[in-house]
Amino acid sequence: MPRVAVGKVYRKKSPFDGLLQHMNKVKECVELLKEGFFKYADGNFEEFAEVAKKVSDLEHEADLIKGNIRAHLPRSILMPVDKRNFLWLLREQDAILDHAENLAQLLDLRHTKIPEEIKEDFKKHMEKVVETIGEMEKAVGNLRDLTETGFGNKEREETKEYIHRVHKREWEADQIRYEITKKIYEIEDKLSPMDEYHLLKIVDWIDDMADHAENVADWLRAMIAK
Amino acid sequence: MLIIVLALAIFAGLYMAWNIGANDVANSMSTAVGAKAITLRQALIIAAILNFLGAVLVGKHVTDTIKGKIVDISSMSSHDAMLGFLAALLAASIFVTLSTWKELPVSTTHAIIGGVAGFGLAQGGIEAVKWATLGKVAASWVISPLAGAGLAFVMFVIIKRFIFDAKEPFAAAKKLSPLFISLTLFIIFLSVFMKTRVGTMLGYGAKEYILLSLILSIFLGMIGYFILIRREGVKKRVYEMVEGLFRRLQIMTSCYVAFSHGANDVANAVGPVAVIIAFAWKEVDTLYLLAFGGIGLAIGITTWGYKVIRTVGGRITALTNTRGFSVDFGAATVVLVASKLGLPISTSHTVVGAVIGVGLARGLDAVDLGVIKNIIYSWLLTLPFTAIVSILIYMGLRIIF
Repeated sequence: MPRVAVGKVYRKKSPFDGLLQHMNKVKECVELLKEGFFKYADGNFEEFAEVAKKVSDLEHEADLIKGNIRAHLPRSILMPVDKRNFLWLLREQDAILDHAENLAQLLDLRHTKIPEEIKEDFKKHMEKVVETIGEMEKAVGNLRDLTETGFGNKEREETKEYIHRVHKREWEADQIRYEITKKIYEIEDKLSPMDEYHLLKIVDWIDDMADHAENVADWLRAMIAK
Repeated sequence: MLIIVLALAIFAGLYMAWNIGANDVANSMSTAVGAKAITLRQALIIAAILNFLGAVLVGKHVTDTIKGKIVDISSMSSHDAMLGFLAALLAASIFVTLSTWKELPVSTTHAIIGGVAGFGLAQGGIEAVKWATLGKVAASWVISPLAGAGLAFVMFVIIKRFIFDAKEPFAAAKKLSPLFISLTLFIIFLSVFMKTRVGTMLGYGAKEYILLSLILSIFLGMIGYFILIRREGVKKRVYEMVEGLFRRLQIMTSCYVAFSHGANDVANAVGPVAVIIAFAWKEVDTLYLLAFGGIGLAIGITTWGYKVIRTVGGRITALTNTRGFSVDFGAATVVLVASKLGLPISTSHTVVGAVIGVGLARGLDAVDLGVIKNIIYSWLLTLPFTAIVSILIYMGLRIIF
């Protein structure tokens, strides 16, 4: 019967692996939602219903991963980053999925038609938001290199560059959102009050995903601080 | 009567050496095997040979500590002292076997010290025990993990700063590799030459030995550099290539740990036997005893070592080669230097400290400090437990003999 003192000290499963796994679910989910939303904008509601269901499934799978990561971080664990920052990052990353799910369900519940005048803007907005999340994924994905190099300066600088890009994309998404909101008010005479309310809500919820991606980037920045 | 005690002592010494070899080999070889730097069979053979060499070449000083510095035996009859050391040896062996069974990470060094102190208490009372030495043991609970942590931390920060942060990490790693090799070899050579049988045999002074070690290690470092360069293939990710390079360096540091382990821990088995033989028969040349202990270690490694290595090696996939290198280097250096100074420190404690050191340098994804707490409990338990068992065995032996 062997003595395994030394072996027990390091954990076989890295919490960072779990975080990256969770991130991949986010990636899969928002890509799916984007494609689905394009179909929705084109009036293809049946196919969107399927997408909404898949989004919900992915959200659940990601929840399980999140729970698993949290359950296996004992109080006495020593990590190369602040554990609170790590958990906050995970939480914000998960919030992206929560919003994706909410948005999908909202769209599925009431098939509000997106007016021709603003349809392309909506698509552009969605595109930009997913781009923001894409940049966030690159930033978080760089954690592998960071842990491999023991959070070396070179990789930290690289991560900061990615974080910077997240902020840039998020800001661009905000601009599009502003434009869409403006246009909705411009054509409000043509819209029923319920339609208008719903359109405003959709644009807000799409934008929320980018906001949470930005939060993830901010927590990542805190994590890699010296 | 005497012959029975003598036979028992030799048997117990061999058993203890076997125990030490079987258990502690994981400290040196499991990182290398876990990282697939070498095969299990290679690891066992290398560890057996190097433990033996370490024991024979550098193993003298700690033996002296066990022999005379824990208990004052001058006032005891040789009969009592003999039985006492036998009791200590048996108590320590039993304790190590028990802890092995319970998977408790104890120090064999501290087990034997506890055993010796126990019989000292039983025979001579409180005055017979040299509390200063026990104080040193207690200090080593703090010092050996701290020193291991410190060195491993520094080593990993150096790797970070000069390799991972370099513009071209792989080129930097190649450039620095002869330095790492030379540094490791320098300490090994120094420890082999200074104040050892080999050193006295050659008959030079300290300065000459430092110079000689320096020249030898630089020369061999260069040779190692060319071997490494020739061998390394091209992979996609640069950090993987760096790790690949360190995989080879890690074989060397694993050997380093095996060597210093042999040097340090052989005394735990041989020390008491030496005393008993001296009382029962005559003063025997230390070299024979060290060789005897070294063989015991080697047998332990080759018969049971694979179990330990397999278990530990499987659990430490998170420990990449640069980390393994830092841990090994820190631990082995501390153990070897301590062994030279005659300090009774524990290899296991130092390795655990070194792992935490790398963790503190942001080198490990997650280190479970909860485990450390349990380890500390088992350290505190070792001395009283072995002391009590030793007292009981000593009483029993006195009734029989």
